[in-house]
Amino acid sequence: MRPAARHLWLGLATAPVVSFFALPFLYLIAVSFKTKDDVLNGRFWPTMPTLANWPAAFDAANILGFILNSVIVSLVSGLVTIALALPSAYAVLRLKIGGKWLSDVTLSSYMAPPIVALIPLFFLLKTTGLLDTRAGLILIYGFANVPVAFWLLMPFLRRMPIEIEQAAAMDGAGPFRTLLQIVVPIIAPGIVATFIIVTVLSYNEFLFASAFTFSDATRTLPVGISLFQGDRLVNFGQMAAASLAGIAPVYLVALFMQRYLVSGLAHGGVK
Amino acid sequence: MTTFAVEVLEPAGAAGVAGRGHAFWARLARLAWIAPVLVALIVTTLYPTVFLLALAFSKSTLGKPFRGFVGIKHFATALQDPIFLAAIGRSVAYALATSLVQLALGFLIALLFTSLLKAGRFLMSLVLLPLMTPPVMVGIAWKLIFAPAGGLLNGTLITYGFISEPISFLGHPTLAWLAIGAADLWQWTPFIVILCFAALSTVPDSVHEAALMDGANGWQRFWHIKLPLVAAPLSSIYLLKLILSFKLFDLIYILTFGGPGFATTSAGFAIYRRAIEQFDVGRAAAETMIYALVIGLVTLPVVRLHQHFERREL
Repeated sequence: MRPAARHLWLGLATAPVVSFFALPFLYLIAVSFKTKDDVLNGRFWPTMPTLANWPAAFDAANILGFILNSVIVSLVSGLVTIALALPSAYAVLRLKIGGKWLSDVTLSSYMAPPIVALIPLFFLLKTTGLLDTRAGLILIYGFANVPVAFWLLMPFLRRMPIEIEQAAAMDGAGPFRTLLQIVVPIIAPGIVATFIIVTVLSYNEFLFASAFTFSDATRTLPVGISLFQGDRLVNFGQMAAASLAGIAPVYLVALFMQRYLVSGLAHGGVK
Repeated sequence: MTTFAVEVLEPAGAAGVAGRGHAFWARLARLAWIAPVLVALIVTTLYPTVFLLALAFSKSTLGKPFRGFVGIKHFATALQDPIFLAAIGRSVAYALATSLVQLALGFLIALLFTSLLKAGRFLMSLVLLPLMTPPVMVGIAWKLIFAPAGGLLNGTLITYGFISEPISFLGHPTLAWLAIGAADLWQWTPFIVILCFAALSTVPDSVHEAALMDGANGWQRFWHIKLPLVAAPLSSIYLLKLILSFKLFDLIYILTFGGPGFATTSAGFAIYRRAIEQFDVGRAAAETMIYALVIGLVTLPVVRLHQHFERREL
């Protein structure tokens, strides 16, 4: 095929793909600037744009509080997950502890849908007094994301040249020191990618959060937004504004960290 | 467990002079490395399984669990409940179908992005955004699109004269599933694109060039060279999406709440309502066990297929 024709075909194929993925997001933006009457006409862009929905959404629900809860819970649980998964992944791969058995069990534990753990974890949190607390949610997410982190970290550890670690061992460094001072700096991009991914998973999680939190002091953003849409007074403009406010932190992270993310996902996903 | 113990004891045995106490501490130190993951697995997998099993055989509510043994009553009730069985059927059909559609579409988009070279890599970071969007917000965005009054889709269809009256997409059994599928496709196809893109980039250029020299045309190169080379990763991507699809919950909660009627009630959603709204935790536990068993049975052939492709590669 001639280059010009080829470009035309590629362009024709790309345009619908890009518009499809951009559409819901652009529509959310458009609706957030629509007045109540404007919403009903079913057009894409607002005919008389208004800013009123944004402050109204923040007044109608404790959006900032929800975002704060989400950010705290997801960041701390992300740290917990990495702290739990990294030494174990290293031990399985390099120190031959646990072996194939442990990695198989870890991966297969990810197969069960979260609904399986919902009721048992509810009772666990109830008995330990952690129901409706941020600490409870942090622990649950921190533990639940371990298989994902384990899986994402493994390829980065595997590609780490073993000679460097052997040299460190010759110099008398114990395995834990080797991990912290030699391995961690080298695979830092992989750790960052894994941290972002598990943090976003916690930030986005809904099922556990909806069952384990029931006061404004602990509710995370997805739960807060889901209540918002259940309200008697369904205002599309405010709903769109509130949703966008909640999406913004994740999109900022995605834009600044896209390089890490794509490589982290791509390496972890395919063997 | 036995192989694990042998491995652990080996270095202590090699040390020779080390006493029994030393071996014990060495073993403990090695165990400490994997203790965090073991604790996580116990809390999130082992304990829930044992707890659910106990619940499933007992008379239990959310407020007061374990009030007497009831045998297999909950399992019998669940297996005779047409609403629950239909929900399981819907979950399985949905997972198999959406995963297949998204794998095909994601693979095509990945091929397109590979041909676009630099621009493709830029688009890749763009399609990352749907993947990162909280599913609740994905649900809300698509709910606005499908809304009967003022929704984008109805508005567009009316403006261009395809329909005269707005359609209640989320109020129609089949259309509601298609709407959930569309939102799911929007969110998860990017993930498949990224994984397929990575799989395609592992195909060495030399293979492609050799085929070109042999006079293979574009279609032949794709069908006989590229596709077999990425068959193993594709099957693992399908497996991964299948597992993710069985977790479907948020989109149903936001878009349809299982309705109209029970038309879009998935197994997970049915169990959630049984436990959280009706507090019948015993029966919900039995239903969960049945659902987990079904997931195992459905994914097993895909696991086998993946193993088949992996063996062929060696």
